[in-house]
Amino acid sequence: MIRTENLTKRYGELVAVRDLNLDLPQGRFFAFLGPNAAGKTTTIKLLAGLLKPTSGRAFVGGYDIQKDPIAARRVLSFVPDTPFLYDKLEPMEFMLFVGQLYGMQRSEVVRASDELFDLFDLDNTRNQLIENLSHGTRQRLVIASALLHEPKVIIIDEPMIGLDPRSARVVKNVLKKRSQAGVTIFLSTHILSIAEELADQIGILNHGKLIAIGNIDELRQMSGQVGALEDAFLALTREEQREVTEPA
Amino acid sequence: MSGFVFFRLLSEVNARIIRRHVLALREKSYLMVSVITLFIVGYWVAGYAVFRVGFSTLETVPGLQAILLDRMLFLFFAFLFVMLVFSNMIIGYSTIFKSQETQWMLTLPVRSLDVFRWKLLETTLLASWAFLFLSAPLMLAYGVTRHVTGWFYLKVFLLFVPFMAIPAALGSLVILIVARYLHRRMFKWALFGCSAVGLACALVFLKPMQAEDLDQAQMVAALQDLLHNSRVTAQPILPSYWVASSMIAWGEGGTGRGLFFFLVLLSNAMMATLVCTTVSRRLFYEGWSHNHSQGRFQSGVPVLDTPIVLPRTGLLERVVNLWPGLDEATRALVIKDVRVFWRDTSQWSQFAIFFGLLGLYVLNLRSVAHEWKSDWACFISFLNLGASSMTLATLTTRFVFPQFSLEGKRLWMVGMVPYGLKRVLLEKFWLSSVCSAAITLALILTSSWMLRIPHWLTLLFSSTVVVMSFALCGIAVGIGALFPSFGSGTSRRDDNPAKIVSGFGGTFCFILSLMYITLVIGAEVWPMYSSFAASGFTSRGQPWNLVFSWIFVSLFSLAATCIPMSLALTRVESLEI
Repeated sequence: MIRTENLTKRYGELVAVRDLNLDLPQGRFFAFLGPNAAGKTTTIKLLAGLLKPTSGRAFVGGYDIQKDPIAARRVLSFVPDTPFLYDKLEPMEFMLFVGQLYGMQRSEVVRASDELFDLFDLDNTRNQLIENLSHGTRQRLVIASALLHEPKVIIIDEPMIGLDPRSARVVKNVLKKRSQAGVTIFLSTHILSIAEELADQIGILNHGKLIAIGNIDELRQMSGQVGALEDAFLALTREEQREVTEPA
Repeated sequence: MSGFVFFRLLSEVNARIIRRHVLALREKSYLMVSVITLFIVGYWVAGYAVFRVGFSTLETVPGLQAILLDRMLFLFFAFLFVMLVFSNMIIGYSTIFKSQETQWMLTLPVRSLDVFRWKLLETTLLASWAFLFLSAPLMLAYGVTRHVTGWFYLKVFLLFVPFMAIPAALGSLVILIVARYLHRRMFKWALFGCSAVGLACALVFLKPMQAEDLDQAQMVAALQDLLHNSRVTAQPILPSYWVASSMIAWGEGGTGRGLFFFLVLLSNAMMATLVCTTVSRRLFYEGWSHNHSQGRFQSGVPVLDTPIVLPRTGLLERVVNLWPGLDEATRALVIKDVRVFWRDTSQWSQFAIFFGLLGLYVLNLRSVAHEWKSDWACFISFLNLGASSMTLATLTTRFVFPQFSLEGKRLWMVGMVPYGLKRVLLEKFWLSSVCSAAITLALILTSSWMLRIPHWLTLLFSSTVVVMSFALCGIAVGIGALFPSFGSGTSRRDDNPAKIVSGFGGTFCFILSLMYITLVIGAEVWPMYSSFAASGFTSRGQPWNLVFSWIFVSLFSLAATCIPMSLALTRVESLEI
């Protein structure tokens, strides 16, 4: 459902993403890890079609995001780290707006929104303006709106920031269930425990290069560590850092 | 999804948002709403009166009345056209390329062409609404002078729609090309280069009316010169010519001719929009991607390959370090504020245009320079003080007022430093006051020198603008903190200064500033006028009662500075970040 072929993005002299090759099948829960400025957000923006790659291709739901963006976006939901909402709308009005933008019928949106509001504990916010909602509530609303049109692929950047433990648990459960139901999830995060808990496959990006990919056991094996994912992550990225700073 | 459905949905949502903004006025103070309403009505009434008197005066010029009236319209629309192109460029850059909403829209299953079309419409409305507001009294005065019927105004309103579309398309076209092919930093220097060339051309080629031309005996010849020099605005190739010609024709009852120019305007507007949207198919997405793929790392230094990046001591730091008595925290706040301003394209580009216009104004003062012996010179010098003050008020409202709101999501960071928000507010006040005073003082000294007014009057004007700078900055910073527009964490409002200023607080700040200026200028003009009226306008006397009026102005300015500032300081003390 998500496939990249030698995906590369340069910012002038700097290579932010270098020859990235990914192939994520339907229902895969993929966690994308990496240190700061590793190129995670750039990769996500390339997958969402917000940035044009310098070279290579990205496919979402089988569609080339550059050549057939509308078809790709129909099956995609993208939740950035700083999502956009209309302050002067009420949550239900926003859901109706988003649903209709995806071509859903009004009654269909209302029904789906009712379920999602219940799921994300947003029922008591229905009659409030979005500008009056807390950061966590807004985040839940954004994620709810992203699930509204039943996407086949969800690309989500740091979804747990600002969420209380209960809301974080709800989001994790919902994402996992969607994944089990066949939705491909591409989750970028710095919180390693989330990746450890949810992901079927983990990719580690460093200096724009995918330095490791596999499940937790495979990553442990690659890094030569036996402990938590954190140890494997630190070992792998430290190795890569040494290679960059001490060229042969 | 079709473009039509996308537009319909967005229109419905935006109509709802506008309605909510209007309804939110009920929560504002009745006094403020009344003051703003009064100001709007007052502007229309006063504007109408001024234009009506002006048109009536032109009608008295023998043999030239009709042509002068028409030329006024050509000049007005030509000037407006240029301003609208600039306005669309500046607002378009923020609305099309910097807005978070655009990014969100580009992830929806809609064509990027439809996103661009919507953003073009938004830019057109944002850049042009003030034009309708400001030109309404002129249109009414012109219609009354021409004895037209009510249909004329409806037709003129329809005429403005294609007239607004052409500069919007042109401005957006420029922005599309710039965003796609120029790096942000190159764009900055390209704009400065173009401004410098434009100013040099204006200096060489603009030939304003000379003071001696104002002699009654030479008036007709001078007006003929004026017509000759402004003939460029009456070129049939200009959109401003078509709109003015259509208005003139409809004003004279020439329905067919009016319709002809309306259709010329409409077809050109449609063509310009078509060209713009066609170009956007290739350049909008590419430009957006290009624009968001640059400037991500410091000065082209690849951060990833450089483990430690030490901050450099730049020119700004060295200049601020020269300032005596500043502690480290204030120094850091000053550097941060100047740097953020300089790096915000929408801020410095408007600032550059603003000062380009001021340059033209000062250059034009050469033409009215003459011996200090006439009531005309006295009138001009006070007009100059008024113009400089108005400039200052515009400057403080546009650039100083939004400063506190612009902290937005970052407010907690500056608010949590050991000195607190009060210190931040005071830093903003002092920084803006010193900068404004320096700019306005330079302006008033240059213009006084060009007008060759006496030293004592230059001293009076200079000291007046200095105290006015502090007062107007006090009003702008104070009202800015009392009526902040932070939006929310996901708002599109708190990062666009133009939108912050166009809100309720910005309008209130501007009106308060204008009221303050009116009182100050009035306090200085009145003793001057009474003194000259007693001793004759040609007297070289120095009206000493001006000293008392200056003391009044200083005390009044002190109050205008301290009241909003102290209210704001109290407010930020209890502000929940």
